[in-house]
Amino acid sequence: MQDLTTLTINVKDPWKDPANGWDVLDGRTITDNRTLEADVIIVGTGAGGGVSAEILSQRGLKVILVEAGKLKSSDDFKLDEGAAYRDLYQEGALRATKDAGMTVLQGRTVGGTTVVNWTSCFRTPHETLQYWHDEFGVQGLSRAQMDPWFQQMETRLKVEKWAMPPNANNDVMKRGCDNKGWHSALIPRNVSGCWNIGYCGMGCPTNAKQSMLVTTIPGALDHGSTLIHSAQADTLIIEGDSVTGVRVRPLNDDKVPTGATVTLKAKTVIAAGGGIQSPALLMRSEAPDPNGLVGKRTFLHPTSFAFGIYDKEIAPYYGAPQSVYSDEFTFKHGVDGPAGYKMEMMPMHPGLSGALMGGFGERARDEIERLPNLAASIAMIRDGFHDDNQGGTVELRDNGEPLLDYPVNEYLLDGTKRAHLTMLEMQFAAGAKEVRPSHADAGYYKSWKAARDGVAQLDYAPVITGLGSAHVMGGLTMGADESRCTVNSDGSYKHLNGLYVIDGSVFPTSIGANPQLSIYGLSARNASALADKLKA
Amino acid sequence: MDQGINRRGFLKLSAAGSAVLATGSGLALLTGCSSNDGPATGYKHFRQQDVDLLTPLVGAVLGSALSDAGATAEDGMKAFDDLLDGGMPGTRGALFQVLDLMQLGAARWYITGSWASFADQSDDELQQTLANWSASERSLSRMAFKGLTQPIYMAWYVKPTGARTTGYPGPPQKIVA
Repeated sequence: MQDLTTLTINVKDPWKDPANGWDVLDGRTITDNRTLEADVIIVGTGAGGGVSAEILSQRGLKVILVEAGKLKSSDDFKLDEGAAYRDLYQEGALRATKDAGMTVLQGRTVGGTTVVNWTSCFRTPHETLQYWHDEFGVQGLSRAQMDPWFQQMETRLKVEKWAMPPNANNDVMKRGCDNKGWHSALIPRNVSGCWNIGYCGMGCPTNAKQSMLVTTIPGALDHGSTLIHSAQADTLIIEGDSVTGVRVRPLNDDKVPTGATVTLKAKTVIAAGGGIQSPALLMRSEAPDPNGLVGKRTFLHPTSFAFGIYDKEIAPYYGAPQSVYSDEFTFKHGVDGPAGYKMEMMPMHPGLSGALMGGFGERARDEIERLPNLAASIAMIRDGFHDDNQGGTVELRDNGEPLLDYPVNEYLLDGTKRAHLTMLEMQFAAGAKEVRPSHADAGYYKSWKAARDGVAQLDYAPVITGLGSAHVMGGLTMGADESRCTVNSDGSYKHLNGLYVIDGSVFPTSIGANPQLSIYGLSARNASALADKLKA
Repeated sequence: MDQGINRRGFLKLSAAGSAVLATGSGLALLTGCSSNDGPATGYKHFRQQDVDLLTPLVGAVLGSALSDAGATAEDGMKAFDDLLDGGMPGTRGALFQVLDLMQLGAARWYITGSWASFADQSDDELQQTLANWSASERSLSRMAFKGLTQPIYMAWYVKPTGARTTGYPGPPQKIVA
């Protein structure tokens, strides 16, 4: 039996080195009103904000980074699932769409989702970029034009195909696809000296993961940037038709405002809070939005699951969480036909496993007790490529917190049913003894035939069809078409001077792959162009 | 299709269900089951009425997940309270709205299929209630079932005592110099 509990991890935390000289303000300690000025204010420190901060500060611009989440670094990453959800995830990992149809895992900490993602790096598919050009008038982002930017970020973040053998969980994907004659390949990961232990989702305890926390944010701080964490960007300061700063509310340890206001002044503000947060900032600020588009077309990759039970130990909680994928069905029906889906595996720690398996009482107990022999496959639907699919809409609660309304419609349910069948077939081909799709009414099927017959009887309806997503995209659509887009292809907001959006919220559709490298590449491109403009 | 069943179903919905939905939160406020009483003793977020309402349900949902760890329903309820720490005020507010609604017998009937308070149901009755509730085709019932059971599971199994009962050996040890 695999058991890593005697392994000890003792690594240096770069954030705890006083010699680094970094200018870091902790919002929890700010109780007085104050004003700070910079050339550029960046709201959010994830993939978009981190990359932008490093590039702009390297060009000699004074940057202030604002982050609502806390600063947590490797000394704090104790491989504790509960502490990770509480400290590193939006809404303590309790975020879900408005009707509870999909759970949403999204980061909320210095470094954003890059601190908790599973390190899979894919260049934006050509088909996706072409669709943006054709349907939204996105300019200058063909795959040939983007490849140098992807290359630049792959070098910066040490992205390489995983060279060690996949863990038993990911080997299921390889074996199943090989036996079916389906495509599979190794996943490129942004890691350096990875210990292959499997805790990417709880904050990398060894600093092997090349998240923004250990790469671009330190890079920006080395070049004179200031980081304010535990501080919520409340509203943009808008004067006439220009943004001139950001009103920030420092938060105490319980995420409650301390009562102070930090006023940040700059001629350039970058919204980089990611999907959901960036549109919400503009909505709270009542930013001009003549066509009512802000927050619309917010996309997830609606992701279904299949749980397989094997004779031999899988230990799905240990080892690099994602190392094998399959694109067999991603573009099977073209870019804009019936839903396509990318297949991967997911790590299964007990808390997330219990939440996703669902059920109640003894049947649920029997299921989770088989965790050591369980493999979990996922299928991520590409959403937003079909006229029926406008994705979700960001709303504001009475207190200004965002909420995502994302109807699970027939298009997604049809895609989920097909994805379930594919995953069931794949896992039986890999040697599973029993497999269950993520549907509240489904039990474990003991053969592919029984599974096919069983799925045919299931009622594919919202909420009882188990869906989640760890990828939030869109809400501030990029493109030339004014009737559908709010942001230009260079990241500038169409209706305010000085405001840029550099994060995943500008994507006109979902990506069709784990989005981090898409955000890195586009952010590098647009932040570099912005630096050219500001230094001209 | 049997029109009679459809009609009966419709009458049931309009007579009790939609009335509860339309006025439930308001009724909850009138009956004193509102959200301003502060957390119960020993809890950071759940109010006393939530603890009274939910603890038996937590025990039934988790079942032997608790006893196998030598734990009680109250331990499961406290774990749920800990999980809420990470939520935002709006996240908790939405949960409290559902719980306020479920203080009412009519709402419990509409959502779970049973009028009786969870505390007044035997273990077998609670399992039957959960079976009926999880099979309900009402979207509010489905939302409430998932919205309550999913965090109950996450809350318990992120605890090392709960996690170890799944066969997961546990994480490596982090040493901070």
